[in-house]
Amino acid sequence: MHSLPGLRRGVSLLAALPVAAFAAAATAPVEGLRDASPRLHALVGARVVTAPGQVIENGTLVLRDGLVAAVGAGLAAPAEARVWDVRGRTVYAGFIESESTLFLPAGWKPSAAPAAPAEGAEAPPPAPAVAAESSGGARSWHPRVQPERRASRVLTPDARGADALRKLGFTAAHITPARGIVRGQSALVSLGRGSFNRDVLRDGVTQPLAFELVGSGGGYPVSLMGVIALLRQTLLDARWYGDAHARYREAGGAGLARPEANDALAALGPVVRGEQQVFIALEDELDTARAAALAAEFNLKLVLRGSGYDYRTLRTLPAGVPVIVPLAFPEAPAVEDPDHALDLPLDRLEHWELAPGNAGRVAATGAAGALTSAGLRRPENEFWPRVRKAVQHGLAADRALAALTTVPADVLGLGATHGMLAPGRAGSVVVASGDLFADEEAEVLLVFVDGEPFELDAWRRFDARGTWRIAWSGAPAAAPAEIKVTGRTPARLKATAGSVDATVRTDGTRFTLLAPGRWFGLAEGTVRLTAHPDAGALDGSGELPDGTPLRWRAERTAAAPANRTAPKPLPPPVARADVYPAGAYGRRTPPPAPEHMLVRNATIWTSGPAGILEGADLLVRQGRIAEVGRNLATPAGALVIDGTGRHVSPGLIDCHTHAGLTRGVNEGSHSVTIEVRVGDALDPTDIVLYRQLAGGLTTANILHGSANAMGGQNQVIKLRWGEDAAGLKFRGAPPGVKFALGENVTRKSFTTPVTRYPVSRMGVREIMLDTFTRARDYERDWAEFRAGRSPLPPRRDLRLEAGLEILRGERLIHIHSYRQDEVLAFIRLAEQLRLPVATFQHILEGYKVGPEIARLGAGASAFSDWWAYKHEVIDAIPYAGALMHQAGVVVSFNSDDRELARHLNTEAAKAVKYGGVPPAEALKFVTLNPAKQLRIDDRVGSLEPGKDADFVVWTASPLSGYARVEQTWIDGRRYFDTGEDARLRAETTATRAALIQRILPERQRALGAAAGSGDNAGDEPARPSVLQVLAQLAAAHADGAHTLYHDGTGHSCKHLERP
Amino acid sequence: MSPRALLRLVLVTLCCARLAPLAGASPGIVPAARPPGAVLLAGGRVVPVNGAVLEAADVLLVGGRIAQVGPGLAAPAGAEIVDVRGRSVYPGLIAAHTQLGLVEIGSARATNDVAEIGPLNPNARTQTALNPDSEHLPVTRANGILTALVAPAARASSGSRANLIAGTSTLIRLDGWTWEDLTLRPAVAMHLHWPAMRLPSGTAAAAAQRNLDAQLRQFDDAFAGARAYAQAKAGGGRPPDTDLRWEAMEPVLRGELRVFIHADELKEIRAALDFARRQRVAITIVGGLDAWRAAAELKAAGVPVIVSGVERLPGRRDDDFEAAYANPARLHAAGVAFCIAGLGPGDLGHERNLPVHAARAAAHGLPRDVALRAVTLSAAELLGVGAELGSIEPGKRATLIVTDGDPLEITTRVHRAYIDGAALDLRSRHTQLYEKYRERLRRTGAAQE
Repeated sequence: MHSLPGLRRGVSLLAALPVAAFAAAATAPVEGLRDASPRLHALVGARVVTAPGQVIENGTLVLRDGLVAAVGAGLAAPAEARVWDVRGRTVYAGFIESESTLFLPAGWKPSAAPAAPAEGAEAPPPAPAVAAESSGGARSWHPRVQPERRASRVLTPDARGADALRKLGFTAAHITPARGIVRGQSALVSLGRGSFNRDVLRDGVTQPLAFELVGSGGGYPVSLMGVIALLRQTLLDARWYGDAHARYREAGGAGLARPEANDALAALGPVVRGEQQVFIALEDELDTARAAALAAEFNLKLVLRGSGYDYRTLRTLPAGVPVIVPLAFPEAPAVEDPDHALDLPLDRLEHWELAPGNAGRVAATGAAGALTSAGLRRPENEFWPRVRKAVQHGLAADRALAALTTVPADVLGLGATHGMLAPGRAGSVVVASGDLFADEEAEVLLVFVDGEPFELDAWRRFDARGTWRIAWSGAPAAAPAEIKVTGRTPARLKATAGSVDATVRTDGTRFTLLAPGRWFGLAEGTVRLTAHPDAGALDGSGELPDGTPLRWRAERTAAAPANRTAPKPLPPPVARADVYPAGAYGRRTPPPAPEHMLVRNATIWTSGPAGILEGADLLVRQGRIAEVGRNLATPAGALVIDGTGRHVSPGLIDCHTHAGLTRGVNEGSHSVTIEVRVGDALDPTDIVLYRQLAGGLTTANILHGSANAMGGQNQVIKLRWGEDAAGLKFRGAPPGVKFALGENVTRKSFTTPVTRYPVSRMGVREIMLDTFTRARDYERDWAEFRAGRSPLPPRRDLRLEAGLEILRGERLIHIHSYRQDEVLAFIRLAEQLRLPVATFQHILEGYKVGPEIARLGAGASAFSDWWAYKHEVIDAIPYAGALMHQAGVVVSFNSDDRELARHLNTEAAKAVKYGGVPPAEALKFVTLNPAKQLRIDDRVGSLEPGKDADFVVWTASPLSGYARVEQTWIDGRRYFDTGEDARLRAETTATRAALIQRILPERQRALGAAAGSGDNAGDEPARPSVLQVLAQLAAAHADGAHTLYHDGTGHSCKHLERP
Repeated sequence: MSPRALLRLVLVTLCCARLAPLAGASPGIVPAARPPGAVLLAGGRVVPVNGAVLEAADVLLVGGRIAQVGPGLAAPAGAEIVDVRGRSVYPGLIAAHTQLGLVEIGSARATNDVAEIGPLNPNARTQTALNPDSEHLPVTRANGILTALVAPAARASSGSRANLIAGTSTLIRLDGWTWEDLTLRPAVAMHLHWPAMRLPSGTAAAAAQRNLDAQLRQFDDAFAGARAYAQAKAGGGRPPDTDLRWEAMEPVLRGELRVFIHADELKEIRAALDFARRQRVAITIVGGLDAWRAAAELKAAGVPVIVSGVERLPGRRDDDFEAAYANPARLHAAGVAFCIAGLGPGDLGHERNLPVHAARAAAHGLPRDVALRAVTLSAAELLGVGAELGSIEPGKRATLIVTDGDPLEITTRVHRAYIDGAALDLRSRHTQLYEKYRERLRRTGAAQE
């Protein structure tokens, strides 16, 4: 039970309420006198909105024993009912807050107070630290997997928090654990007086899962791809757990090894059986597709909490999934200083204009949409204005009401009892002064929770605005006969007599006026007046400057003029909602794919058997290369490009990049993490993809980093800028995995002591061998089960399955490697285990063991000329590529660097310079050879009939430093073109300028308001400490900690990952 | 001796050297003999940079200087005649921003001496910390880069706090026994590293701005402190206690030592220009990623730019993809004096790729002859040695290269190089390892044709 002293002034509703409010569980013995107050209320004369779109004018609503007893027009109030005169008011069914951490202890909420949010990104709180309570019992091995915990068991009364939500009109809230990766059961709770025996409406409503990162201190996982891998394994474990225990029970248990006891996996049973909903709070627009993929993989019943950027990726929103939409719109960006404004990217400026339309756009997909106040910094000031803004920006008012009533009731399992006003349904009601969804001044006055009234300050507040005629007693004759009370709100008033203002101070029920003596014909002094409402009048007293008491009474002669102005219709937005990625250089549609296209009369570097053809043509049909040769016939309607003076090469291929990977490049927490998938964490918004297209790059191999011996599964992509994550993937590219040797794996350059195995090159070999032997044992376990020799199924282990895929030759190894000793050791291991080694990556000393690499059949994906950055590259030489090539190794030059990948063609030229590789062969280092290494050379890498039409038009020989790209084509579509680029630049510039003009008026208002409160230190935002600032800066620059829409810089393996 | 025979001799020498044991920094590679004898480079295509290209011309090197340039020169008695027909002769390239010799292996802290600690180090001198046996020198000069500015960096490693005044840079030639041998100019400029002025958004902005303001005030405070110190010394009274930092600032205050301000973004460049006006010092911007945005101001103030890195990513998401590539062309179009350098810190080991930056600028709008000038004569001018280096002209230092083509093209090779008239050994640990493992391929019969 809460205590009164804890309540602040102005939140003192409790005092006015019957003792019954404190009734505890019905099962509890009555102490003292029982409370048998009638629980019967009649709300009379209101506009009753019984459900979205259903209105009863001048209606009566009767609540009896916590339920709606009757609702209708012209009903008589029962005689014994307490009658509430709500004429002119609007009555709604109680609103349901769809996501809240109210009543939850600290260990269930995000750990840190939200740091100063970036403009435009106020929604997602910072990543929480490891959840606290993880000890004892049969739990998950992972401290942040706690599905067995239940919010309902730890609810703690929070009168202020409940009051704050009721003030917004919420009568129930979905209490959602907000910490961990698998967070624990949520509960739907009435916002009554904290008697949870009564108020818990439904337990186990959802199981929240989250793509939560907590930084490297939290252990596995430290990357988004690791988190998704952990979720996948956990859900598989939950399936296995149910199955294994069922079979164990069936078999009677005798003679069998009992499957482990695990509360966490047991608690996930309903989730994997599709019986319990999964709640996923999206942190960014790309999480939508990630959540959808996880749900599809495991047949999960999904409820999504949107990111606020949902409008950008609506096409990835799975059908039929409800979305809870936050209202965290950005403040107007600080664009007043042009130099500062330069640093604000267009996507952020556009989001300022588009964010309020997010809810409307989500609703327009047909998705059931709910609204939440979660994520707002000052919900009391922000929530309703933003709901109305969302309505103004396209969310139908009925949908907005549904988003607070029927939708959350249905989604959260209370559709039969909540969300509408009808006999038998919950007596949870909101009384507002007007239409909350349209009227800028409308406010919540009164709330009933399960039939119990909560009078808000606004309900009892007297609105004194208007013109008053005053009768004075004991005042000088000059006292004003009439005053006008004006103010923007009923709480901030001034009084005027003649043209002289008096200060008014009010708490809503009592008014104090400080009137200048002049009001009374006095030369000096201040007259103090006070009054309280009395049957519509003001009954007052006061004192003249000399202490003489006086009395006064005021009758209202005119109401305040309505200062309500109809909201101006919105001008059409300047921001473009139809480009992707949002902001600069986004595309509206994929580039067109002409049926036929022909490059005429160019120098064509085929990278195929035809070599370099001068004065040749390239014919493309339906996205594939049809023919390369001289004097080809032009098919009717073909798009023809004059290649005179131009060179054409295959699209360049980068066999080692980390661009396009978000929220962690390394899952370096464990030495073996081959279950994590780069493909789960792609970032199609990475601007560097566009910039690399402009350098002729068309295909890239996105690799896990090199922080551990057996890293994650790589993802080959095509640089189809404008597509979503799925659209980037190179379908049909054989799967692969990243391994690593040497300094990074053994943490040699860390200054802190290293405890993770291995710490020497000896151990690197052993951990690999150990993983593969485990994988073989795992395979045997399954074989025995399938052969019926064991009744209990082995647990599926994605880590070992990845190991088996490698052993079976189905998953190609790309291994980060430097020194010849470690390379040779791995070659021998690979020979022994018959591992499919696609590439040695970096392979700086590969030139010393070229013959051995060639015999293994592995490729070398090397740096052209890097050296001197760390000790193990002491023998790196730029001739390595040529020497390995001479030894018969398929050699490619990769980038591992965002800038370098913009000119792999000149990297290839270094093979000519250092070691004399012939030009046509050298170009293959960045075309055919990486395609061979990735086993995609049947599709890309050379200009030969039947292959994908991925090619580049250059102004000069691609091996020349003076060459620049004019066009880059992928799948027969022109993804980069200098002319189009110029148009996109112009569009960016023009859109920025127009948006800034839109933003400036709002910004000027904000600056004016700040200047107005200049010497009022209390209004200044809290100043963060230097440490906080530094921490924020560090977080912003931390490797792999990029949020989306970054400036395009990022990770490189050249720089060792720090723990 | 015929050129062909000479070449054969050189090859024989190379082969012998290949078999020499390796220890430390290529001990088999020794500096050129000095003083050099006269050399006549005969019959090459001479690209003097500051004048018209001469087809089939000679260049006569005498006493370490260029004596004559033109067709049909007579070789003085005893001069070595080198047949460079079919080759091109260019001035040696100048790397105007490096840490050559100050660091050997980036992540091996024991080998890293690029910066001192603390914000104010005007007295730090790169000259005396230069390792003449650094492997980076032979590797870099093999690509025709014969002169380099060695500048103090802002910080020793990415984690440490930045210097504001980092110390003085040294201009070196890439050949010599000791750092004194290497030195062309012991102190070229005082290097100021302007702090990054991009602020975080949101409520952190105000605090970050205060931190930044405090940092920026230190520049003015340092100059005021140095002036007060100089005045106290000149005042005739009791001399002040010696302060090495302010002693080192005196040549700056007297206008004898240039001030190089490292600044990339527009706000930083503008703040640096303000600072220069306020302190009445002539500055050069180093870095200059956004310099094109401030081109008019830079031109009006007569402030040149050492564009440090052309192959760079744009600084902002909205910037056009070629913002850095086209920066030199935009500066050139606006009439700003500039040269092109490598990336400096963070580009360790890539100093040899200086020509690539210039070519990239040319690919994105800079005329090719201007691009060449940007890594030769323009660099010399901005480093204060325009009268001595950067072009092939009589009287200048005979620091030049003989190539098989345009030195800005990656595929071009440097066949000969002369520093102050003396021929360099163009081998390095890289070529030695190459030869060693070519030999392995030969012996194992693994080499494929």
